[in-house]
Amino acid sequence: MTTSKNETEVRLIENDSLPTRFARGWHCIGLERDLADGKPHQINGFGQKLVVFAGEDGEINVLDAYCRHMGGDLSQGTVKGNEIACPFHDWRWGGDGKCKSIPYARRVPLRARTASWPTMVQDGMVFVWNDPQGNPPPADVTIPRIPQVAAENWTDWNWTQITIEGSNCREIVDNVVDMAHFFYIHYSFPTYFKNVFEGQSAYQYMNGDGREDVRPPKPSKSNPAVMGTTSVAAYHGPSFMIDEVTYHYEDMDVDTILINCHYPIDENNFVLMYGVIVEQKEGVTAEEAELMAAKTAKFIKYGFEQDVAIWNSKAPIDNPLLCEEDGPVYQLRRWYQQFYVDVEEVTPEMTERFEFEIDTTRPNEAWRAEVAENMAARQAAQS
Amino acid sequence: MTAEGVAKPRPPRPDVRLDDGPMAPVECSACGACVEVRKSSWDQTSIQWHADALARCEERNNPLPRTERPNRNAFLGCGKLKESVREAAVRGRIEIQDEDPLKINPEGHK
Repeated sequence: MTTSKNETEVRLIENDSLPTRFARGWHCIGLERDLADGKPHQINGFGQKLVVFAGEDGEINVLDAYCRHMGGDLSQGTVKGNEIACPFHDWRWGGDGKCKSIPYARRVPLRARTASWPTMVQDGMVFVWNDPQGNPPPADVTIPRIPQVAAENWTDWNWTQITIEGSNCREIVDNVVDMAHFFYIHYSFPTYFKNVFEGQSAYQYMNGDGREDVRPPKPSKSNPAVMGTTSVAAYHGPSFMIDEVTYHYEDMDVDTILINCHYPIDENNFVLMYGVIVEQKEGVTAEEAELMAAKTAKFIKYGFEQDVAIWNSKAPIDNPLLCEEDGPVYQLRRWYQQFYVDVEEVTPEMTERFEFEIDTTRPNEAWRAEVAENMAARQAAQS
Repeated sequence: MTAEGVAKPRPPRPDVRLDDGPMAPVECSACGACVEVRKSSWDQTSIQWHADALARCEERNNPLPRTERPNRNAFLGCGKLKESVREAAVRGRIEIQDEDPLKINPEGHK
């Protein structure tokens, strides 16, 4: 008997070098309510140190943190009027990057200009525009508005920031197509899963059943059992995801909007932020809605911690071996590539509409059996 | 290496699953838009659109009224095209990558 080469050949993991630049696009760096407090804020992002500040006019500005005079760190300085004053010699820098005055000098020298980053404040969030080519943000590259943020019957942002060390931010983007990990890592039970990539956006349509084996054994009003979820999530650009999730409880549906966004610190570290707002349905008090937002945030944090545990020990892999029940990992990476090449080199392949719907029949059979096993084990442990 | 000496990123590889069966053209019976399709099973479908197909598609060009929801204004996909893909599968005009042969009925869908 002979075995073919295909049966004996070992598949090798391929790992191309990490991208040498940071993605082009709008990156959320936090909330306006935190950053516009009249104090300078340090952001380590895009391989650099930046300072974020809002002056008396309330405008948010982002500058390179190092003073062009003698290299002082502006993020350790003071906001004076509409300018950031260097802690070293009090040189005053405006949001446009120009040195406005030097209190001890007769005049400001020529070429007293530092790097200023285009910024945008929208729906309570602050964004900076990164473009390795130095172009301004095109008018048609936008983040969708979230009018619910300002609506009275929605809670304010419940916002959390964590630093992820030792991983490139592309790992988190892969999640948008990875249906099976939602069962194995995040205690979900996807029953419908479809991705659509088009232009700058990558959508994920996911419906899920509640899992009996992760439900509270005795559901109560403060700890109700989730019967299922309906979710429409989308990356708009390389780093900013909006996820509209409806949680179906026995007696009501609760609408939430989640943000899952990040900016790179450098090639191997990134800052991950997530925010939640919850609709305050009729019969629900403001406190209950806030509590629900806090609980959702806690659950998301737990989910990311589980992702991080995987990322910390996994290998980067550019040639994943996929089964037919996996999502479109390769096509997602093709879409993601558009943010890492010069804008002139974005090809139709990277942006043309691609749809991928998973057949959940077989995964659901396997997962139902696994949930039943977990329930049997739980009952055996109780008796 | 480019002229500037910066290594260009390697373009992403094609989906390994295409080794078992490539994308195949399907024409929409409603508007004639031609897309590339792959089906690994009855309920799994991949559709690659191109600019000319999107420009032709009637459902695409008659969007639903806009909503206040940030993610709910995107085009979900064309229902007519979905029917055309289903018909192509039923008639055996596109191959299905599945161990179990599907019960196709070439005489159906008349």
